[in-house]
Amino acid sequence: MDFATLASQFFIGLSRGMIFFIVSAGLTLIFGVLRITNFAHGALYMLGAFIAYSVSTLVGQGPYGFWLALLVAPVTVMLVSLVIERGLLRFIYNRDHLIQMLLTYSLVLIAGDLVKILWGTEFKSMDIPAVLRGSFNLWGASLPWYNAFLLIVGPVVALGLWLFLSKTHLGKICRATATDREMVDVLGINSTRVFAMVFALGGWLAGLGGALIAPTTSISMGMDASIVIYAFLIVVIGGLGNVWGALISSIIMGVGEALGILFIPGIAIIIPYIIAGVLLIVRPTGLLKSAW
Amino acid sequence: MLQVKQLKKAFDGFQAIADANLSVPKGEVVAVIGPNGAGKSTLFNLITGHLQADSGHIQFQSQEITNLPPYKICHKGMARSFQLINIFSSLTVFENVQTSVLAQQRLDRNFFTPSRRLLIDETLEVLEIFGLLELKDRPCKSLSYGDQKVLEIAIALGSKPKLLLLDEPTAGMSSEETRKIVTLIKKLSQEKGLTILITEHDMELVFDVAQKIMVLHQGTTIAQGLPEDIRNDKSVQNAYLGEAG
Amino acid sequence: MSANNLKSMKSPKKLSTYLGWAFAVAGVLILLVAPTILTQYYVYLLATVFTTALLASSLNLVLGNGGLLHLHHGVFFGVGAYTVAIVMTKTSWPFAVAILLAPMVASLIALVIGWFCVRLRGLYFGMLTLALGQLVWAIVYRWNALTNGDNGIHAIPVPESLSSINSVYYTTLLVLIISLIILYMITKSPFGITLLATRDNPVRSESIGINVKSHRLIAFVIAGFFAGIAGVLFVLVERSVAPSLLFWNKSAEILIMCLMGGLTVFMGPTLGAGILVLLSMIVGLYTEYWLLVLGLLLLILVLFLPQGILGYLMESYDKRRSMRGEN
Repeated sequence: MDFATLASQFFIGLSRGMIFFIVSAGLTLIFGVLRITNFAHGALYMLGAFIAYSVSTLVGQGPYGFWLALLVAPVTVMLVSLVIERGLLRFIYNRDHLIQMLLTYSLVLIAGDLVKILWGTEFKSMDIPAVLRGSFNLWGASLPWYNAFLLIVGPVVALGLWLFLSKTHLGKICRATATDREMVDVLGINSTRVFAMVFALGGWLAGLGGALIAPTTSISMGMDASIVIYAFLIVVIGGLGNVWGALISSIIMGVGEALGILFIPGIAIIIPYIIAGVLLIVRPTGLLKSAW
Repeated sequence: MLQVKQLKKAFDGFQAIADANLSVPKGEVVAVIGPNGAGKSTLFNLITGHLQADSGHIQFQSQEITNLPPYKICHKGMARSFQLINIFSSLTVFENVQTSVLAQQRLDRNFFTPSRRLLIDETLEVLEIFGLLELKDRPCKSLSYGDQKVLEIAIALGSKPKLLLLDEPTAGMSSEETRKIVTLIKKLSQEKGLTILITEHDMELVFDVAQKIMVLHQGTTIAQGLPEDIRNDKSVQNAYLGEAG
Repeated sequence: MSANNLKSMKSPKKLSTYLGWAFAVAGVLILLVAPTILTQYYVYLLATVFTTALLASSLNLVLGNGGLLHLHHGVFFGVGAYTVAIVMTKTSWPFAVAILLAPMVASLIALVIGWFCVRLRGLYFGMLTLALGQLVWAIVYRWNALTNGDNGIHAIPVPESLSSINSVYYTTLLVLIISLIILYMITKSPFGITLLATRDNPVRSESIGINVKSHRLIAFVIAGFFAGIAGVLFVLVERSVAPSLLFWNKSAEILIMCLMGGLTVFMGPTLGAGILVLLSMIVGLYTEYWLLVLGLLLLILVLFLPQGILGYLMESYDKRRSMRGEN
């Protein structure tokens, strides 16, 4: 094992962690503010990937296809999320976890078959835009440009979320709601609007994650099933509702998985679960202070 | 029967209990009083194991029980009621008390005897003391607030305690319901010979039932003694007046 | 009041209890003669219903009675099934060993997973069941030497006497009935009542002398045990196993069954299992979009009938009875 292999694998894990973060940041925001366990988050992510594929195919996989997709897919998913929140979720905010979970799970089932109807069952693939193709050399390791791109997008999203949460009015309300539910009622804030906006933002992030992963993987049905479990674990490990906890645990998961593939390829698939299990046992309420 | 010595407990830097000391003699009714936020409920939660103490000692019947889990403390003969209603919402009145009796008899791990046949008389006896016989098959949710507070205490008595802790037993009750509780406390103390530790806002009630009073102020025991001594204690008057002013 | 008077205060049995037993006996009688009039396919389908019903009922001990958000019960089912499969294909041990071992291994895994989970509450409990359950799935999926990996194990040999579908049918039915009776007794036992108490109010339960964590752990292990038995039945019916048995969406399906029938009614999960298994077959005749139908059904259920079918019936029955009582 040389240093170059290790470095490139670490780098790839880190960039995968960025995707995890983008997806799970949305999930954890929804958790913290709406107190909803959104199994459909993975389906939104999958939807983002499929829409990105369609957009880029429509414009002919040309130089602008990817960038347009990156813009359109998250926004479309955001609109879908808004419809879901206004049309369904708002009726079950006072129910217990199981009911909420199963409602979002019903959306998983529906979305799975809708995707099948709309896009068919064969695998789709999408090109990496020309400027991000190929790889560069770092300390003797060959690193794909696209992963470097992800490593830029991740922190940009994190920075955006930080600005949103700490500088904007809505962001402050989000934090207040996440830490103290009654506060919002006391302050007379229109929580209906806050809930809708946060769910839409969460959907946007899921769609963004899907659009970003699209060029690097075969876009297929069932891609929602494993990401949603990962995202859930990341959110729980990080501390429910805590965006920065999600960032930390995303990186741990991404890098842990990538290094696992390198060192113990036979059981790499189980490494995220082991990490999650161990962390949950050691720190049952998450790495960072949970919003709950 | 119960000794609390130099007990301390802080939450996130806030010293809820700074130096609590208490001794409850066998057979007596002892009241813990103090202004709002003095730490009475925290003290109760420490004694019954619902909170872990930072330092200090709690001894029950000469045994160290500091920081034991609540269920172990209960099996040593100490039971409590809660300030807020804390009952088993989906069970009937009868089952609420029966659950407690079953746990006390260590039958809660019995798998194959229908619980309909177990400890019926023991449970009915408790219900009778509290005047809940007529309501026994009602779902406990359907009871009035006052009756739920009574059931709250009945569940505690199902544990056949030697020491009964009552946390604000009359909070939110009408004066008529409060009188009922006073009668009940006296009955439990005099007829059943129970040792009782109580926190209460209602000073009239406290001086009516208590043989001994401990005053808690900002988490510290500032006085402990006979009711008349407490009434005349300068530091106690200051503590209460301080709050009012 | 004297002791004698107290005795006369004992609660009378409810009419609904007798009604329930009448339904149960009638149902069993119908099921006993069913294979003589049904085609083999339907006999097979009913055997699947029995297997699934046991699985769902075992989950409900933890979910409905224990109030624990157990999100990955399918794992114990899968472990039970795999135990039989592995013993029958990789060892020369007799079948009896396989069927005895399966629930024991399943409950052992439940003990290990549960030991960690009962420390946590609510959603955290649920997430840890999910994480650890997926861990077991991943192990089964990857451990080629033992489990054949994602290929699964097929053509699992079973004794001659269990080779016909009718004998499988009666075996699964018998095992289901016995298991349901035992589970029912457990829910009505002091253990069961105490479990309800820990669900309603864990803090109060602790303070009346109940060790809530270990009580929950025991319930978890019992549920794992019966899920393991269901796993044995699954192998009898299907003769094959695959890692998808242990994937989380299988567990979600079991949750839906429990919810559909009603979490608060003992026979709810059985009814839910029956409906879902039969419905998936019927819908499958007309369309390949069974999951879409299931999703819509679940949506309706969650929004309009969260207490489940039997739960709803019991509620309206109780309401009618109490109204009649008042008049």
